[in-house]
Amino acid sequence: MRIKEMKAGGSAVLFGVIPVGTAFGHWVSKLIALPQLRRLATGEIPWTPLRRPLAQSTVALVSSGGVHLRSDRPFNLNGDPTFRIIPKGAQQADLAISHQAYDKTDALRDINLVFPIERLRELEAERVIGRLSDVHYGFGLMGSAKRLMPAIKEVARRIKESGVDLVLLVPA
Amino acid sequence: MALGLVKEVAEAARAPRFLYLHWPFGHALGEPGHVAQQRTVLHDMLTMATRAPRPGLVVELPYRWRRHAYTAVRDWKSPSPAVSAALSSFTGHGVTEEAQRKSA
Repeated sequence: MRIKEMKAGGSAVLFGVIPVGTAFGHWVSKLIALPQLRRLATGEIPWTPLRRPLAQSTVALVSSGGVHLRSDRPFNLNGDPTFRIIPKGAQQADLAISHQAYDKTDALRDINLVFPIERLRELEAERVIGRLSDVHYGFGLMGSAKRLMPAIKEVARRIKESGVDLVLLVPA
Repeated sequence: MALGLVKEVAEAARAPRFLYLHWPFGHALGEPGHVAQQRTVLHDMLTMATRAPRPGLVVELPYRWRRHAYTAVRDWKSPSPAVSAALSSFTGHGVTEEAQRKSA
């Protein structure tokens, strides 16, 4: 089966070559993540209880599914250590996904699957959450946590300074 | 508040709050256009965010992919049934956090 055919079928391909079925995708994901987590996720687990009721809290989204504004620079499909900013008003048509390690067919039809911005706008309108952050953050594929760390720290800094109370992390 | 699709990664991350779903990559909130499903998962996330009693808990959500029937979230101020049930099983009486996570 040629690579073109695999891609046209909507299946995901890792490094442009290896088809990512569920079992294989899980295996690769663990292979890459677990050794790094064992090294990095040590010590006390950070804990900040929500200081305000949810209906008065500001909520931000962080995605690792490769979501970004269509007008913004795409993520490098082989690994990208940078982040993108997504404004709270972004519509489905404004958004693109640059990521090839998962099947994004459904997400391209409904971005909420990997970046539930429309659902959260509704919850803000319904006053379930106090406020949706003006700014949300997207990451692409990045196997090396070490290379990703500066971007993570910058996003954390911005989130903290903008008065966000709660961050929802949504995976690819 | 993290959502994850690979259980071992969710456990190894040792994040403050983690929800795990046995769903395909690219579908953390569910199926395209399925608003009730997506809102259910968000209700679970917001419940975990407000009600998790201590850091490091990983709650496995019980929804079987394409097999579960979702009802509309009625009361966002009440805790979600799935997270509520999971948190009540983390009794913390003489059981280590590690053991609780393994049995959850």
